[in-house]
Amino acid sequence: MTLAHPLRFAVALVVAALLALLYGRLGRGKTANDLAYSNLAFFVAAVKPRLWVPRALQVAWIIALVSLALALGGLHVTAPVPVRDGAVFICIDTSGSMAAGDVAPTRAAAALAAARAFIDESAPGTRIGLISFSSGASMVQALSSDHAAVDAALAAIPPPNGATAIGDALRLAASALPPIGHRLIVLITDGVNNTGVDPQQVAEWLGTQHIPVYTVGIGTANGGAIPGSSDEATIDEDALQSYARVSGGAYARAQNATELHDALARLGRVTAFERKPVDASAGLAATGIVLLIATFLAGFGTGRLV
Amino acid sequence: MISRTAPARGIREALLHGKRRPRTPGGSPTSRRGDGYEFVELREYVPGDDVRRIDWAASARSGDLQTRVILEDVALTLAAILDDSPSMQVGRRRPMLAAGREALRAWYDVAAADDRCVRIVGDAMHPSGAQRGPVSAAAAMRASGTFDLGRALHVARSALRPGAALLAIGDWFDLAAAQDGLLHALGRRCDCTALLARDPWFDDLPLFGLVRMRGAEGGMLRAYVGARERAAYARAVRAREAGLLARFAAAGWRTSLLYENDGAASLAAAFGLHARGIARS
Repeated sequence: MTLAHPLRFAVALVVAALLALLYGRLGRGKTANDLAYSNLAFFVAAVKPRLWVPRALQVAWIIALVSLALALGGLHVTAPVPVRDGAVFICIDTSGSMAAGDVAPTRAAAALAAARAFIDESAPGTRIGLISFSSGASMVQALSSDHAAVDAALAAIPPPNGATAIGDALRLAASALPPIGHRLIVLITDGVNNTGVDPQQVAEWLGTQHIPVYTVGIGTANGGAIPGSSDEATIDEDALQSYARVSGGAYARAQNATELHDALARLGRVTAFERKPVDASAGLAATGIVLLIATFLAGFGTGRLV
Repeated sequence: MISRTAPARGIREALLHGKRRPRTPGGSPTSRRGDGYEFVELREYVPGDDVRRIDWAASARSGDLQTRVILEDVALTLAAILDDSPSMQVGRRRPMLAAGREALRAWYDVAAADDRCVRIVGDAMHPSGAQRGPVSAAAAMRASGTFDLGRALHVARSALRPGAALLAIGDWFDLAAAQDGLLHALGRRCDCTALLARDPWFDDLPLFGLVRMRGAEGGMLRAYVGARERAAYARAVRAREAGLLARFAAAGWRTSLLYENDGAASLAAAFGLHARGIARS
């Protein structure tokens, strides 16, 4: 929370405090509207009047004054707001290990289905691009707000084959993202970086540019056999967590197709909102005025009748 | 010659009649010590008269039993307790205390030349001397001091002679259940009358919505009062009145409500006399 005009706020607070003091002093004085009664203890015990109502109105009155003071002070709060200029690159691993069947039907097919869920959950207007990487990285779909087109482009993702160049994919995504706005990268991979540039360095640089990398690791704990090879598909979770941490993103592990689908769907919703400083003055001023009118009207026409 | 209003005559007659009758059914006549045994007149014997007062010589002459009437039998001690605490300063058009003072004045108006009027204020009775009649009534009306119900009742019990007439006027908010024994003792010893100050808003609480009330004896209350609260108030006030009157009646006291608009009529009502002008809704 920050105040654009702290001096105005301080003055408004002092004025509000003086008003409250004056109100309290006037409230203690006798008025013609007061009813003098023989024994208040008897009245309270017999009638059980609603004592909370005037207390609630007093609290509302104080909230109204503080709201108006904060409005005059130009209060800004950091709050989640809908993203209007979001840009996301989904980087999908197409290395040979993605052919493993430990995540049904295969890791590659599950990744594509999850990417589709991500696209479906993304906020309308969010620009989404696709990058596939194995021994190198290639742009499958440039940033586009036409989610149907991006969805269709998933069909162009090549089949699993080759090494794993995570750093290259991150660098390509970074170069294709706009220089400002709400930007992020979703990295779906099952393997260990074994070629290309160092992804740790790229992730650190992305962190300085406020581009978070959300990493999703695919694969069961036991790993999976790579078809046509004697190698076992493994996963470097520590590295994936590190890329996410240094860039300001988050890591998720998916050991089956459902977990993968849910993780990507959650990330899709992340693109819908971003935390930004918001000017709360108008809302506070409206709240204060409404409460002041409400507290005034609550006491209007009531009191002693004769 | 003191001219007296019809209610005053009626009250006096009721008090004198009360003095003559035995105080316990079938029991012995009341024995009480007066200020003296000054002879006033002879009258026919009335069942319940002290046989020691029968004038046998006069009875022999007239052929009927004749009772010697002494000053004590025709002179009253009119004692009063008036709650003049702040709680009696409230009222719809005027303070209830004004009605209380009216009732007190009407009480002392009962006094004849030989009667003694006293008022219990603080720890003492006023006037303290042997003043009688209107002089003592005026002095009793002027008496002032701090009101304490418990102390006043104790003083009445210890200082009033048996057979004295006691009028107690108040709102009785501070009448504790533990004081019922005192009420009973006074009821047996004296001819007691209680006037309960009627709540000024017994028929309708003039409040609605957000209200502020000031306690007559201090304190302030802010609350919301709606139809539910008003109905509960009306029920509670009537229940309190009925409960207090029942307690006094059980202790052998004559009772009535003290109405804000006419204290004297309220007193007359306690004696079953015509009470014109009382607002009794």
